[in-house]
Amino acid sequence: MLEMHHISKVYRTDTVETHALRDFSLRVEEGEFVAVTGPSGSGKTTFLNIAGMLEDFTSGTYRLDAEDVSDLGDDARSRIRNEKIGFIFQSFNLIPDLNVFDNVDVPLRYRGFTGAERRRRIEEAVELVGLTSRMRHLPSQLSGGQQQRVAIARALAGAPRFLLADEPTGNLDSEMADGVMALLEDINSAGTTIVMVTHDADLAGRAPRNVQVLDGWVQDTTQAIDSPVASQAPAELAVVGS
Amino acid sequence: MEFGPIWRASLRNKTGPILMALQIALTLAVIVNAVFIIKQRIDKITRPTGMDVDNIVTVQSFGFGEDFNLQESVPQDLAELEAIPGVLAVTSSQHVPLSGSGWGTELAGSSEDGAPRVNGAQYFVNADAVNAFGVKLESGRAFTAEDVEYPESFGVPISQVIMTRAYLDALFPEGGAQAGATVYDKLGNPVTVIGVLDTMHGAWVGWDELENVMLVPRVMPVESNYYIVRAEPGERDRVMPQVEQTLLATNDRRVVKSLRTHSEIRDSSYQGDRGMAVVLAVVVSLMVMVTGVGIVGLASFAVRQRIKQIGTRRAVGARRQDILRYFMVENWMITTAGVMLGSVLTIAVNYWMVASFELERLDPLYVPAGVLALWLLGLLGVAGPARKASAISPAIATRTV
Amino acid sequence: MFRYYLKLASRSLFAAPATTSLMVATIALGIGIFMAAVTIYYLMANNPIPHKSDVLYAVQLDSWDPAQAYREDLPEQAPWELTYIDAMALRESDIPRRQAAMHKVSLVVQPTRVDLKPFQAQARLTDGDFFALFDIPFVYGAAWSRDADDAGQLLVVISKSRNDELFGGEDSTGRTLRINDREFTVVGVSEDWYPVPKYYDVNNGAFDEPEQMFIPSGVGRELELFSSGNTNCWKDEDINSFEEFLGAECVWWQYWVELPSEVERDAYQAFIDGYVEEQKELGRFARPLNNRITAVEQWLEVRQVVRDDNKVLIGIAFLFLVVCLFNIVGLMLTKFLGKAPQIGIRRALGASRGAVFRQQLIEVGALGAAGGLAGLGFAWLALKGIQQLFPGFEHLARLDLTMVGIAIASAVVTTVIAGLYPAWRVCRVPPGAYLRLQ
Repeated sequence: MLEMHHISKVYRTDTVETHALRDFSLRVEEGEFVAVTGPSGSGKTTFLNIAGMLEDFTSGTYRLDAEDVSDLGDDARSRIRNEKIGFIFQSFNLIPDLNVFDNVDVPLRYRGFTGAERRRRIEEAVELVGLTSRMRHLPSQLSGGQQQRVAIARALAGAPRFLLADEPTGNLDSEMADGVMALLEDINSAGTTIVMVTHDADLAGRAPRNVQVLDGWVQDTTQAIDSPVASQAPAELAVVGS
Repeated sequence: MEFGPIWRASLRNKTGPILMALQIALTLAVIVNAVFIIKQRIDKITRPTGMDVDNIVTVQSFGFGEDFNLQESVPQDLAELEAIPGVLAVTSSQHVPLSGSGWGTELAGSSEDGAPRVNGAQYFVNADAVNAFGVKLESGRAFTAEDVEYPESFGVPISQVIMTRAYLDALFPEGGAQAGATVYDKLGNPVTVIGVLDTMHGAWVGWDELENVMLVPRVMPVESNYYIVRAEPGERDRVMPQVEQTLLATNDRRVVKSLRTHSEIRDSSYQGDRGMAVVLAVVVSLMVMVTGVGIVGLASFAVRQRIKQIGTRRAVGARRQDILRYFMVENWMITTAGVMLGSVLTIAVNYWMVASFELERLDPLYVPAGVLALWLLGLLGVAGPARKASAISPAIATRTV
Repeated sequence: MFRYYLKLASRSLFAAPATTSLMVATIALGIGIFMAAVTIYYLMANNPIPHKSDVLYAVQLDSWDPAQAYREDLPEQAPWELTYIDAMALRESDIPRRQAAMHKVSLVVQPTRVDLKPFQAQARLTDGDFFALFDIPFVYGAAWSRDADDAGQLLVVISKSRNDELFGGEDSTGRTLRINDREFTVVGVSEDWYPVPKYYDVNNGAFDEPEQMFIPSGVGRELELFSSGNTNCWKDEDINSFEEFLGAECVWWQYWVELPSEVERDAYQAFIDGYVEEQKELGRFARPLNNRITAVEQWLEVRQVVRDDNKVLIGIAFLFLVVCLFNIVGLMLTKFLGKAPQIGIRRALGASRGAVFRQQLIEVGALGAAGGLAGLGFAWLALKGIQQLFPGFEHLARLDLTMVGIAIASAVVTTVIAGLYPAWRVCRVPPGAYLRLQ
């Protein structure tokens, strides 16, 4: 589903080069639920931006859904984001002056669906997250958990192959967080691949597979399928790669 | 003062400052040139005419029919008009000064062939003309009733005139000519200048030789003439309707029309100049307003963008006045860049206008005056946003926005 | 998608009414002032008779003083008008399809209606061809003949308005009208005609109202009528009678000819040059040969009917518009960059740069259209003000449909141009920049 090979990302200013990712490699299979963890400044955000095709990288290759997307132009990447990737953000990133319906509508508009098709998909997605009764509400009229569910509905409405969640419960209390996680697990069991970035070890623990990023390097704690213990928590760190 | 860091910070986010500076440059170029034109027009409109314009009423008599005779009608009309209470003096005149309609001729200061000729406006008037126009006789004498001629045709040469000092000096460029001088008409006939007027304006306000005017004591053999009726101060509006009634009562073989005050005639002749001045003044005000609003808008944006930064500065010890000064200085530097470019632009715009149109070269003092005005506008514009910035709490630094 | 962008634009514009009104007002002011200046210019520079402006020519012969040019500031020019002798001589040519000599006169009209007092009126003394030459239609009757011109018959054509005033609008052909104490016969009533500019005679104001009465050219001799327009003489002549005045080197007649093609044009130029050469033999026309036939539009240019002040105003109004646009660019940058987080979300959800750019431009276009409409209001106000300042400009200070179209189109175009940079800036926002809380 997702294959990153030897990806590096270097930020250059006039005088300094900063390596946000070094030789980062990761493979996520179809249907997996992977948690990517790491402390602040470890390169999580960069990984997220690259995986979500929001940002270019300096070297390496990135294959998404068996397609090499390393050298695509901006428009092509926009199209892939629109068709194959669903985003869920910590701060929900709903558009404040659009109601639930219109927020879920945003990616579908760029997809070029007909009005009827969009309506059908929006209703389905909103129903899936249990907010049908709030269809005409503005984000400010919803609780945090509800807002995040709208964001999930928006991510799902385009039927993406791959969900990218960034601290999806970071702004929620534990009860709401639980609900959102349960929803993500349901979605995953229905076949959608999920990559979740978080710094929360407990949350990461609920994912079948954990990957830790540290200072731009990656440690895949479940790389060895025959070592089920390692899949529970990042007990020790080893550097993978060259 | 921290000019260096402020300048470098402006350069880093340069679109806003560049826009502002360009806007200020253009504004300077427009307002300086416009104000200069306005000033010139006002000078032109308000220059002294030499006449008692505010107390004069003019009216046209237009005779028709075989039996109408202007030369008979004039003495009778004059007597009737002079009898109106409140009337100071009356003369007939072929045209009205400042009206845009008139009669011009050429005179020369010498009878020699090829002597240079000078254009002037010519008014055929009566004995009391000097009084009726309210012009000031500098030297020599006014006309008497005996001076007034009633020629049977146009061609009868004139023998004596009163003319303005300007015209006399133009005829005798070496200067020193006085009443009693002899000038020559187109056919070389001598004409005696019996009186010299201080100042009097002729027919066409846009004409360079507006001040070249002569009065000729004569009533021409035509059907139409004007009366210049000078009222005592304050009596003009009361006299005005009686002028028309009197003329209509005296003779009905004519049309009496164009009863107007002289000031109205002057104003309509200067209509173009006054209109131009007003339109330019409006555009200048709007431009100052738009630029002022632009400065406020851009300064507010600069402040909003830097709320966190300002909080941080305050947290590390900047005083309110330091923040205030930061924004004032930043704005001042942008304005200064703008006015420097603007000064060049101002000269360029003026150069273009002088080359393309009949406009005068800009008085260079207008440029620094405009620069000062825009500096002031800049400081006024930034004052509000800068005060808001200085009121930002240092605590904001620790909050996420 | 266009409708979706429109919806987004209106949402965005209504979300910040203060900023939006400020932007609309700024565009409107800039466009309004500019349009007012352009309107006046456009009407001043109007082609008053587009369908035949290239076949109508004003005729000039340089009969002026050998010692100096007619206009010292335009030394290459000939006098604007002709002498009586020359105007009458030109009438003998049969090269032009139509031609008319003319000048303005002041007449006193003595109406038969008892409720009307005698009044003075401006009239045009001209040849019968005048009406066909300038395409002036008749309501009743027709123009007079060439014989009437030559004989100076007391005939008159009056305009429809004057006919309404004098004869209550009925067919007055054949009726008599007392003018200057003589009995004139009305032969025709012409449609009201207001060419802007008044191209056939721009000497005393190119935007005056045209005359409402027309009399045959020969009547001038009969009634000894001087021009009430301009008369300019250069020669030292002893003039003691009207007869002598007619023979004098004074220019006071305008002369227009219709020359349908190049062939007639060349032939006519040859004719007037030949005429002047003949006159030179007789001791007239001492200046170098300088005879001109000038088509309508060039004539209006030569006569400078568009005043310098109006050109200066166009320039200043344009600079004002530019300042307003700089202001708009600043305001739009502020607004669009304020929307950057939202744009980031749209980008993450798959909006391409092009989609974001188009969305912003449609918003800008909507702003421009609103600004253009409001600008029409300002232009209208400005023109009202100009009418107050310049009485007599009524024909010049009016908005027509063309100007309305131009105003809105130029508002949209200039605003979109001003919006290009802000829209480009905002669509370059990296999609990931605003998505994460740090």
